[in-house]
Amino acid sequence: MRNYDLITPEGTKDLLFVECTIRRNIEKTLIEMFKSRGYSEIITPGLEFFDVFNLNSQYFPQENLYKMTDSKGRLLVMRPDSTMPIARVVATRLRDADLPLKLCYDQTVYRTEPALKGRSDEIVQAGIELIGSDQKMADLEVISAAVDSLKTFGMEFSLEIGHIGVFKALADKLDATEGEKEKIRKLIENKNFPALNDFLDTFGNNSITGALKKLPALFGGEEVFEKAEELIADDTISVILEELRDIYCEISDICGNSGSITVDLGLVNKTDYYTGLIIKGYLQGQGEEVLSGGRYDKLISEFGYDVPAIGFAVNVNGIEKAIIKNGVFPAEREIDAIVYAEPGFEAAALRSAQVLRKKGLVVETALFNDLESAREYAISRKIAKVVVVDSESKEVTE
Amino acid sequence: MNKPIRIALTKGRLEKDTVGLFEKLGFDCSAVREKGRKLILPIPDGNLEVVLAKANDVITYVEHGVCDMGVVGKDTIMEMSGKFYELVDLGFGRCKFALATKKDYDFYSGYGIKTIATKYPNVSRSFFEKKGMDTEIIKIEGSVELAPLLELADGIVDIVETGTTLKENGLEVIEDVAPISARLIANTVSLKMRQAEIEKLIKMIEENLD
Repeated sequence: MRNYDLITPEGTKDLLFVECTIRRNIEKTLIEMFKSRGYSEIITPGLEFFDVFNLNSQYFPQENLYKMTDSKGRLLVMRPDSTMPIARVVATRLRDADLPLKLCYDQTVYRTEPALKGRSDEIVQAGIELIGSDQKMADLEVISAAVDSLKTFGMEFSLEIGHIGVFKALADKLDATEGEKEKIRKLIENKNFPALNDFLDTFGNNSITGALKKLPALFGGEEVFEKAEELIADDTISVILEELRDIYCEISDICGNSGSITVDLGLVNKTDYYTGLIIKGYLQGQGEEVLSGGRYDKLISEFGYDVPAIGFAVNVNGIEKAIIKNGVFPAEREIDAIVYAEPGFEAAALRSAQVLRKKGLVVETALFNDLESAREYAISRKIAKVVVVDSESKEVTE
Repeated sequence: MNKPIRIALTKGRLEKDTVGLFEKLGFDCSAVREKGRKLILPIPDGNLEVVLAKANDVITYVEHGVCDMGVVGKDTIMEMSGKFYELVDLGFGRCKFALATKKDYDFYSGYGIKTIATKYPNVSRSFFEKKGMDTEIIKIEGSVELAPLLELADGIVDIVETGTTLKENGLEVIEDVAPISARLIANTVSLKMRQAEIEKLIKMIEENLD
């Protein structure tokens, strides 16, 4: 039998030292920011029943889940998403809690990615969920938190908004089966203009197919709203466009110099739990989105509690890659002193080290049999101070 | 000047056709024409940088965003799939995926599961899945035409241009699977972050397609 005891599974990796510091810094920055906005952190289990992710309206493709069984033979998965477990918690333990609820999280999700594609199966997501409000202010609150999440890392960013309602309203008017609508949605999502045009031609040439053909091209700045209004005459869509434009204008003000807000009416995520607003965040030079979210007013009702919600998740791994690519590494904390104990003075040395630590220094204890080795170690590690504890030395005091 | 837009071209015929198209747009492609062994080449007046890669790698580089755009055949896109925008049908590199068998072979008769030899297992699988047909698919790396001749397979799914190779080996197309042509693809983030430049390029390209 072959042993795999020296390697990690594909899609996973060990994080050492500075990489680890970068990851923790990102997580800390985000979670502190969420808390400063009044969100409370929750942790859901890494293992959940498969059923949580296999709802009527929303399910994860089986082939992308890590699966196992519990001791009773029931199907478990390693959490592929945090929003659905949080919806479960809200519908059960938090059912009687006062609304709105503001929750945040920072945890790993697991998905099987195609082999040899350089993708990670373990993704750390830090995000928020605002539950129990369908007000415009709730949308603005969450989007501004998303802007802050991107802005805080000091890189050029773009926050994009869209609304699934535009596509849904158009698709409803089209005489097509659910399967055909799904095909159209997918072609719009992939901005596959050639195939979209060909496929829509089979539904005749009218204002609806005309608008659907243009939908994936309707992205960019404020001019998109004017183009869309010219193209689409529909009351439902006009209302949606007006709301989006409002949000667009309010958020533009808070983006600052390093970022911009854009709109894409062709954002029609496959994650069907979104019912309205959709949010995406990009960093310059990162090939994939680093933030993703939206409004999911129907998801929690799948767990038996009908309450609106909106949220987003930041892909911590994505931010990490961007930081490493930009070469802005945080400094590793230096060791200020090393404490060496002469034989018989070990306890005293441990006490001395503790006293120094209380003063705010980073202090190691020397693990050598002679002082000379301890000194060499200190030089090689650039530790400025060697404290020797023996019969001569008084105990270090405060 | 901004960082150039990096565009990956599928080496070979699609590369030549794309360079021809760029020259039609008025770009000076002499660096790409006289490339020697270099793999990354500038087109300074278009603020472009051309990367020459194998078809599958074009998709990989674009998906990861290390190239902003790419030119790749629909055949590769169908086989590989992935997350990117497929913006323009460039019209060149036209051919098709087709199902071929030995001449006068009745492929659809009988209850037995058919064996298909192909370089494109995903394309083949989804083609027969849509028909509700269970098939056994064998991946072949070289001349797929050999498989039915050696009686390893009942049929092949392969790219057909003129059909001459098939004919010379006693095979014939019995069904078209999908048309193929070159596509201009873009990384999903690049299109958003560099919208103005990319849209300008696409507009120029669309105006100059045959």
